[in-house]
Formats: sequence, C-alpha cells, structure tokens
Amino acid sequence: MFWCLAVGLFAVTVLLVRERGITARQRRRNAELGDGLRARDEELRHLVSARLPALEDAPHQQVPAVGLLDTRLADTDFAKCLDGVVERFAGAVEHARSSADQSAKAALKASMRSLQALANEQQVSISEMQDRHDNPGVLSDLLEIDHANAQFGRRAQVIAVLCGSWPGRQRATSALVEVVRGATSRIRDYRRIRINGEVDIAVRSRAVEPVVLAVAELLDNAARHSQPGTTVEVTVQTVHNGACVVIDDAGVGMDGQAAEHAAELLARTHDVDIVRLGDPPRFGFAVIGALTERYGFNVSVDTLSPYGGVRAVVFLPAALLTHLDPADQAPVPPAEPPAPAHVPAPAPAHTHSTDTAPTADPAAPVPDPHAASAPASAPDPHAASAPASAPEPTEATTPGGLPKRRRRTPRQPAPQPVAAEEVGGRSAEENARRMGAFARGTRSGRDARHTLHDDEGNSHE
Amino acid sequence: MTTRRRPADRLVRSYVVTDGRAHPTRNTLDLVTLLIATDDLPLTGLNPEKRRLMELCRPGALSVAEVAGHLSLPVGVAKVLIADLMDSGHIVTRAPIPAARPTDATILQEVLDGLRARL
Repeated sequence: MFWCLAVGLFAVTVLLVRERGITARQRRRNAELGDGLRARDEELRHLVSARLPALEDAPHQQVPAVGLLDTRLADTDFAKCLDGVVERFAGAVEHARSSADQSAKAALKASMRSLQALANEQQVSISEMQDRHDNPGVLSDLLEIDHANAQFGRRAQVIAVLCGSWPGRQRATSALVEVVRGATSRIRDYRRIRINGEVDIAVRSRAVEPVVLAVAELLDNAARHSQPGTTVEVTVQTVHNGACVVIDDAGVGMDGQAAEHAAELLARTHDVDIVRLGDPPRFGFAVIGALTERYGFNVSVDTLSPYGGVRAVVFLPAALLTHLDPADQAPVPPAEPPAPAHVPAPAPAHTHSTDTAPTADPAAPVPDPHAASAPASAPDPHAASAPASAPEPTEATTPGGLPKRRRRTPRQPAPQPVAAEEVGGRSAEENARRMGAFARGTRSGRDARHTLHDDEGNSHE
Repeated sequence: MTTRRRPADRLVRSYVVTDGRAHPTRNTLDLVTLLIATDDLPLTGLNPEKRRLMELCRPGALSVAEVAGHLSLPVGVAKVLIADLMDSGHIVTRAPIPAARPTDATILQEVLDGLRARL
C-alpha cells in the first residue's frame, strides 16, 4: 500500500515537474512569439512612418535611406517581403516622378520655346528701331528695352535648355572676348563687369551659344551676390590645352553646403529634377551642368576669389576653340596703297555700299547674313581657305556678297583740311580730271568768246 | 533697302558697347561728318569696337555713316563711340564739305558760254 502510494506520488511529481517544464517552455515561447509579433508590428509601423517617406523624399532612390528597425528580423522571410514592398514602392515613386518630370519638362520646354521665339522677334524689331531712330533720347529708351529683352530671353532660354532643348541660336565663330561680352549683354548689372586679357582665340560656332549662356549664368551669380559698388573681374586667358574664363567677384562667397550643392549640380551626378530646384527655383548651376555635359567644357566654382568671393573658372578645351582668321575680323582691306588704276568701282560714289550697291557680281548668291556661306561667292582663290569672305583689296565684298566701295584716298601724312578737292567722296584723280575739264572748257570758252566778240566787233564795224 | 539685313542678333548688344549711354558727349556729329584718326595715340584701353573704329579710320577719312555701317552698329551708338574717341583725342573730325562749292555760278556760266560758242 505504501509502495503504491510512493509510486503514485513519484509519478505525480514527475508529471508535475514535466508539466512545469512544459509550461515554462510554453511561456517562454509565448513571450518570444509575442516579441516577434510586436517587432513585426513595429517594423511595419516603421515601414509606413519612416522608410517609405524616406524613399518618397530621397531623390533618385539611392541605397534605401532607412533600414530595418530590428536587426533580429534580418534575413527572415518577413524582412524579405518588406524589402519587396519597399522596392515596389520605390519603383512606383520613381515612375511617377519621372513621368511627372517629363511632362513638366515638356510643358515648360514648349512654353519657353515660344517665349524665346517672341524674345528673338522683339530683339530683331528693337535692333531695327535702333537703326531707324537717330534721336539719342529714343535710342536711350531702346537700349533699356533691349537690355530687359535680352535678360528675358536668357531666362526663357535657360529653362528651355534645362528641359532638354537646344540653346537655340546658331552663331558664327566668335572671338572669346566677344563671347564673354555677349554673356555680359544678358545680365542685369552689365556695367559692373570688367573684362581683362586679350587672346586671339575664337569659340567654334556650335559652342558659342552654350558658352555664352554658361558664362552669363556665372556672371549673373557673381554680380547678384556681391555689393552693387564692386566690380566683377573677368580674365580671359589661354592655357596649355584650351582657354579659360576666370570670373572673380568680391561677394559673400558660398558656404560649405551651397558649394557642395553647386558642385553636385555642376558635376551632373544625376539627372536634374526640374521640380526640385527650390522655391524660387534656381536654375543657374543646373543649367551650367547640363551645358557642360552636352558640349564638353568644364566649370568649377570651388575656389576662393582673391577678392573674397567666389572664383568661377570656365575651361574650354581646344576642341571647342579655333584661331580667329584675321581676314575675318578685318573690317576693311588692309591699308596697303592700292593701285587705283582700273578698279571696277561699281558702287555709286558716296552711298553706303551695304545699302544700295548693285549686285555687280553675278556669281554672288542671295545676300546671306551668315558670312560662313561666303566662300562660294568669293571669286578670289585666296579666300578659298578662309571660311568667310576675306576682304581683298581688289575684290572686296560685303558679308552679303555684294561688292564694296573702296576708299581711294591715299593715306595722308598730315590730316590738314583739304579745301574742295575731295567732294562727296570723289577721289582725287577724278576731281583733278573734272577740274581739268572745267579749266579746259572755260579756257576754250573764253577763247571762243574772244573770237566771237572779235567777229561781232568786226561785223559791227 | 528692304532686303538689307543687318545681323540683328548681334552677340554683343549696343548697351554693352556704349556702357549704357545713348547720348554722345558732343552733338556736333552728323551722318556725313568725316572722321580722321590721329596716329600717335595708343589703342590700349579701348574696347574692341573703338579699336576697330580706329582701324577703319586709319587708312583715310571716313564718314560717320560709313563707320557705323562697317561696324554694323546703329548710327546713334556709333556716334557715342566717336564722341568718346574725340574726347580722348583719337579722332579729329572735319565738317562735311558743302556740296554747293564747286557749282560756282560764274564758272557754270563760263562753261555754258564756252559750249555755246563751240556749237
């Protein structure tokens, strides 16, 4: 009986101990599972409140900005599923963003192009008005309008370029200094720009407009971020394998964050997001970045100017440069004493050859403002190598292909007022000839009158 | 005249050429005023348009209108530049010679007489 009891008790004890172990294990497991569940809940909340918003904000989906909250969950199926969600979401965000960006760009581009066309049209009419009106008061107003119009055109152009459009105008190869001055023409404070340095290097025609735009943006930045009384110094110089335009301002400079942002935009580490340029949007560096990438020049703004502000350096590689042919630039034939013997001077004596010169050259095509097409019209074999019509002393033509009146006044050692010899642009020889004719005529007239009088006298007698 | 096309989209605009001024410092300039460059002054410090203007005038006298045409600048803008160059002594002007000078009535009369006598 005792034994029976003892065995029964033992069995109960064993069972109890076992039960207890099981319960403890159950409880532990329960707690674990609860933890796991809580962790997953937390993780989900984290996903909604932190990871997805981070993706929304993060430009261009770099490495997931915010990771898992609980590292214990890494490598679980749950985490993989979460990553899948994140990926899908990122893809959707990216897709929505790019399509929004594209449609924004397309809309902006189209409207900016039409504005650009209007600005160009207006510029043409302003130029014509400047030609037409000789009154300084009117001219002064026109200059102001022209200035405003140039800035307006540049704004439109910048936005259009940023949206993937071409810079717009086709220009002839221009001297680098002219390119910088062209950029100066398009900013508000053009009077504060000082250009130093003389180089005889020119920018190839396809790069003229992009370089003008980029330099204009840099000059505008420089002038905008410096005191109104200070000047912005521009130095143009040639370097070993290209040319540099160095722009120094005496302004406030850029702080670290701004410089970093600028460098990022200039380096084009990623596509420019048109909707993320700030409010108000700052297009400057973004458009420079787009232009440098497309045309292969380089801009850096990370040096300090000796005047305290920013030093921006535009480097143009030799591929974008060419040497200016002096014949292109020479506005008149060189002053060598020409042989005035039998020059076909087709233009009337004192009219403006560009205005009314008759088309004496039958080979000349229709007047083309672009000198680049001139070689076909230039009958001079020496001019064949020059891209523009080289004004030769004997075969001078205007850029329009019309013959040019040549001055036949030889260089006078002392510019003393010559009385009535060269009247209205007539040459000395011609005057001499006419005066000689007058003299001969009067002389023979006098002689004839004398004889006539004599005759009359005789008859009266 | 209508077909003539000035390069309307000049790269360097007029206000940059004249530094924003439209009024020449002197108003003695006329379309046909003749400009004569003085030889002795250096061209340093002049902007490219002024330098080109001097080069244009060096070989002989040119009128204001011709200079403006060669530089393809509006006449008003060219006048501002020329007035500056006159102030700095780079250019001297000569009033246009009156066109009526050679047509002296007595000479014409004599010529007429001579011709009549011949015929």
